[in-house]
Amino acid sequence: MVTGTAPAQLTIEPVATSAGALRVVLAGTWRLRSATPAADPVIRALAATASLTYDSQAVSAWDGSLLAVVARINAACAARGVPVDVGGLPAGAIRLLALATRAPARPAAVDPARGGMLERIGRDALALAGRALEVLGFIGGLAGSLRRFVIGRAQLRGRDLVDQLQLCGADALGIVTLVCFLVGIILAFVGSIELKSFGVDVYVADLVGVAVVREMGALMVAIVVAGRTGAAFAAELGTMRVTQELDALDVLEIPVLEFLVLPRMLALALMMPLLTLFADLVGVLGGALIGIVALGIQPGVYYRHTIDAVTLGHLAGGLFKAASYGVLVGGAGCYAGLHGGSSAAAVGRAATSAVVTSIVLVICACGTFAAVFYAIGL
Amino acid sequence: MMPALAPLPQISVRDLAIGYGEVPILEDLTFDIERGSVFIIMGASGCGKSTLLRHLIGLSEPLRGEIRYGDRVLTGAAPTERADILRDGGVLFQGSALWSALTVEDNVALPLEQLTGLGAAEARALARLKLGLVGLAGAEQLYPSQLSGGMQKRAGLARAIALDPETLFLDEPSAGLDPLSARRLDDLILELRDTLGVTVVIVTHELASIFAIGTNAIFLDAATRSILARGDPATLRDTSASPQIRGFLTRSPEVAP
Repeated sequence: MVTGTAPAQLTIEPVATSAGALRVVLAGTWRLRSATPAADPVIRALAATASLTYDSQAVSAWDGSLLAVVARINAACAARGVPVDVGGLPAGAIRLLALATRAPARPAAVDPARGGMLERIGRDALALAGRALEVLGFIGGLAGSLRRFVIGRAQLRGRDLVDQLQLCGADALGIVTLVCFLVGIILAFVGSIELKSFGVDVYVADLVGVAVVREMGALMVAIVVAGRTGAAFAAELGTMRVTQELDALDVLEIPVLEFLVLPRMLALALMMPLLTLFADLVGVLGGALIGIVALGIQPGVYYRHTIDAVTLGHLAGGLFKAASYGVLVGGAGCYAGLHGGSSAAAVGRAATSAVVTSIVLVICACGTFAAVFYAIGL
Repeated sequence: MMPALAPLPQISVRDLAIGYGEVPILEDLTFDIERGSVFIIMGASGCGKSTLLRHLIGLSEPLRGEIRYGDRVLTGAAPTERADILRDGGVLFQGSALWSALTVEDNVALPLEQLTGLGAAEARALARLKLGLVGLAGAEQLYPSQLSGGMQKRAGLARAIALDPETLFLDEPSAGLDPLSARRLDDLILELRDTLGVTVVIVTHELASIFAIGTNAIFLDAATRSILARGDPATLRDTSASPQIRGFLTRSPEVAP
């Protein structure tokens, strides 16, 4: 044994006595924390090697770093059918290598092998069909839960519903105020550019009022709620899945859809119109700020124009849309949470999918509503 | 046996008080963990065993007192020194705490790739070797959720020994395992102690494990917030003057007060 702290070294030398035999000479201090030589030169030399031995007489100290190099070389030798004699390694290393290569306690389950492209396309198609059925089942289950709720037989706790109302309604007021006030301001500025050139910038009031009450209020609230509440639903239910809380409900025959999903969906469907009503007011105020301060419209005139332009139909339409968006956001969030994988990453994916799906669904619904309302002359 | 380079750390705890907020749950703890021993921290549920372990591995700061690794003081150390001290310890958490987004092999290879001078191929080879050591050869490409509870513990153990720690901390290693799996895990721990020369600190209340592998132990008590007894577990069971300890170690509530 050599003492001292010479750096770890790995050299290859041919064995004089037999052709094609290779000796790997290890030397120095092998420490995980310091740089150690890689096994690559040995691996490259294996093609012309008939057998391999080790010499570790000059190793002064070693740990896992030496095992790492030896394990890699041995694995490469095994793959090429080159016989290895580990007799020249430190005694402790020989024992550890022997321990590590004993048969596993039980045969491990193996992943289904990935097939060719056709097989994967087929698998994906089947998975898609399965997911479509899952979504239909989710919607059907929700409808059934709603029916039982209406006839007063649903198993949900009033306390949960109140909590959810608070979480997705009252707690969102701050951010809704900020976003919708700014949207009102933006609409007023954009409108004033065109209307000014006709000298009718007083119609900014009409534009902001109709746009906010009819479309933008509900849309902006839906987007805020998708990011705030939809993601929270997905993360919460997803985590409950990972920790088997959902299974615990299942075995007690408490339906998850009624107990967890229904209060969340109801809370969103109820609070979305209320939030939107508030958002409409804030948005109109944002527009008014610009109209009065920047465009010099008299407050009374601005008020009259807004009152005249916005009809009860606009308001009712906006609130109806808001309730629909609430159902879409809640549904997407809860579905993503209930049907994710069982790992931390899967919970993250569920939250992402909840937000993306919610916003896509809301925008699609918004377009559909716009077309339908136009067609029926609202 | 692995040649020892530096003297193995001996953990010494002096007048330690731990707790949440300002309220201590354990006070005046003073004990030493000898090199190469299997040190058991035992006590009834809720007496602060796992909390004590969290303090030993530096996850929580104590209210008072000192924890030394060899001649280095862990408590109150600067972040870099603290990391340096703790680098010599491997931890198996109660729930295994495997990273669920990584395969078993990646779980073990991650510390090797991040904290050592090994090349990527060598790190993987060593990760596979460590998995072989805990009997998980063939399961490298599985995700933690695809493993049974016992296999998860083994994978967590493989990760804990990835960096050749000098001290191995195990939080309830055999909780949730059937008696045979628990026995195999005990054997594995002893085997690792003998081949790697590590000091093992185990938090547990599994009696079979305590007697099978423990060489020294402390018994924590929530009521007096102190160490009620210390010593070899079998000796404690047979000779302890305290009915509470004899009751605990022989599973006889009628002995305990």
